[in-house]
Amino acid sequence: MPKTVLVIDDDRDIREVAKTSLELVGGFMVILADSGKSGVDLAQQARPDAIILDLMMPDLDGQQTLVQLKQLPETASIPVIMLTAKVQASKKELVSKGAAGVLVKPFDPMQLSDQVCEILGWTLTGKDVGHDGSPKE
Amino acid sequence: MAPQKSDEVRSALEKVWLSSRPEALRRLATLERFAETLRSGTSDQMSWQNALSAAHRLSGSLGMFGLNEASSCAEKIEALLGDGPTPDLAATVSLVERLRMLLARTQASSREPQRRDS
Repeated sequence: MPKTVLVIDDDRDIREVAKTSLELVGGFMVILADSGKSGVDLAQQARPDAIILDLMMPDLDGQQTLVQLKQLPETASIPVIMLTAKVQASKKELVSKGAAGVLVKPFDPMQLSDQVCEILGWTLTGKDVGHDGSPKE
Repeated sequence: MAPQKSDEVRSALEKVWLSSRPEALRRLATLERFAETLRSGTSDQMSWQNALSAAHRLSGSLGMFGLNEASSCAEKIEALLGDGPTPDLAATVSLVERLRMLLARTQASSREPQRRDS
């Protein structure tokens, strides 16, 4: 049974690339939410194995969403990886608020699954082999 | 990654890029409108905030498609606009024009978008 990852991001591009990458490269099952509020609701219902959460979102932002997820009994134990642009909040601050780790945008779709596994201590089983097929120029 | 799997991923990412490109161009247009208001002395808080948001989203998304130079250009625009609502006109116009050129290159082919801005 593949692990389920919930991606919460208001940017459609990020959601779609993360889904494509995590499913095809990592073999994960991916569910998506486009706001902090819908992400919290979905996390409570689906109980994913991990959450990737964008920091900068309108209304309920990433830090507020993280706090809510950590306060709710159904979601408190789910590891949350924050997704941030290079210039945003520090990793130390986010980890102090309960984040399992931080991923920086833009991420490499070929590397995302490995990065998630590295942060969470998971072993990647859903892909074939290494990364010589990277899309980088 | 095995070549077949790699091709599958590339193909899927290409489809995502093709559906995302119109939005990227809309964000570019937001930056161009802001540059125009700067030039005419009519920029306001709203146009600046919209431009800052557009630059932020472009810098975060273009790199995922391998458009690293365009992503870097958007990141520079974001940093420039992040200093305040009245950034240097010449620098803003120059960077926005550069971004326009880089994104225009992606129009030439629908294959392997990841390699277009190298």
